[in-house]
Amino acid sequence: MTIKSKSEKQTIKIGKKISKKLKGGETLALIGNLGSGKTIFAKGIAKGLDIKKHITSPTFVLMKVYNLPHNKKNIKYFVHIDAYRLKSGQSLIDIGVKDWLNNESAVVAIEWANKVKEILPRNAKVVNIKQDKKNKEIRKITIT
Amino acid sequence: MIILGIETSCDETAASIIKIKKGEIQILANTVASQIPIHKKYGGIVPEIAARAHIKKIIPVIKETLAKSKICFSKIDLIAATKGPGLITSLLVGVETAKTLSFSQKIPLMGINHLKAHIRANFIQSLDIVYPAISLVASGGHTELGILRKNSYKKLGQTRDDAAGECFDKIAKILRLGYPGGPEISDKAEKWDRQAKNIKKKFTTSLPRPMIKSKNLDFSFSGLKTAVLYKVQDNKKQLNNEKFIQFLSHEAQNAIVDVLTQKTITAAKKFHAKSILLSGGVAANNSLRERLAKKSKELNIKFFVPDFKFCTDNATMIAVEAYHKYKKLSQKQKDNLNQNWLKLKVEPNLEL
Repeated sequence: MTIKSKSEKQTIKIGKKISKKLKGGETLALIGNLGSGKTIFAKGIAKGLDIKKHITSPTFVLMKVYNLPHNKKNIKYFVHIDAYRLKSGQSLIDIGVKDWLNNESAVVAIEWANKVKEILPRNAKVVNIKQDKKNKEIRKITIT
Repeated sequence: MIILGIETSCDETAASIIKIKKGEIQILANTVASQIPIHKKYGGIVPEIAARAHIKKIIPVIKETLAKSKICFSKIDLIAATKGPGLITSLLVGVETAKTLSFSQKIPLMGINHLKAHIRANFIQSLDIVYPAISLVASGGHTELGILRKNSYKKLGQTRDDAAGECFDKIAKILRLGYPGGPEISDKAEKWDRQAKNIKKKFTTSLPRPMIKSKNLDFSFSGLKTAVLYKVQDNKKQLNNEKFIQFLSHEAQNAIVDVLTQKTITAAKKFHAKSILLSGGVAANNSLRERLAKKSKELNIKFFVPDFKFCTDNATMIAVEAYHKYKKLSQKQKDNLNQNWLKLKVEPNLEL
């Protein structure tokens, strides 16, 4: 599935829409260059999960865990990971990522997932965000 | 009262001993063992390497601190350790060490919020802070504005994406400079300032000041990093031009400092603040210190910023925060600290 986004707002909307379909236990592997809008997409996912807090960059601590408000689904946590600085997935295993992957009470979004391929669950949904070469505002979002 | 502070939330292993006599704080020893050289080649802190380095250094650092201050465990009244926020692998080393010492030496134990301690760093040397005070904490992991009254703290705004220090780090990486980015960029920016006018004329750009005009007190730094990236992508050949790097460093620093200063001053005016307190690693940035000092003076507001060594992570601020927290406890709460080694847990996502 490929969706075109023309703005940050639209990217958030797309993330929100996809988020509404999640049941828990999913891993979203976000791939794209610096400034392509991975964090924006993650914000959309969080919005769709009814998280009111600002989703801020987890680059520094690598992983941030957000508690979800009570909902009809079984999802209790949103786990936001940033592998930007990492060379392998071992660092994420060291800080306890295995508690969250394939955990039905959690949705995990990993930015720069291409840097930690070896730890991604087989059923991870890959979200590829590409910036248009001519018009820098436009993004092509491919989900597989 | 004598307090041993322990700090291991990120990439500095630190211990400190302070003595409080008649309300006056005296620093007996302040030790910091930095891991920056170790993490430099990775462009940031690596959790497992940080944990190993903390384990290696924590006991020598505490021993050195005890020796420097000529204090033995029997004289220590309280142990204070950072419990969060931070990197879990790093936090664990400090907290577990503190718990072990608390149990074995029978000393009360207190867990400390690292961010509160950053703000508290302003109280290490200054006793004349007047309320209400606007506090700006800017570091690699946080950017938060708040209002501090005598007995309360309220958050006024925060970053919606990247922290100010993180923005420095990311821009430094785009410009192929080292880690941590703040000092590297600041150094290049200063060099640019000393540049002759005819060279300066050759370069132009206009970087955004994200959210500077928005009515709220939130920040956003992600777009600034992207703007620098675009600028570099459009001028790839210039990456080897030292002058271009100096120029962009200067512009980027200016943009960050502009936003931080503007929002802090807006908050100060809105709440009729009597003091402005700057803290966190980014508080070590000279340009930000100077700009906020100048603006505060214009408005007749007192401006406080800790000494450089107390801006970056240190354990003295942990001990001082512990003292202020301890003062307010009831006798029962104080007694409970004796058993705290059983209960204290790290909280990586702790907030202010």
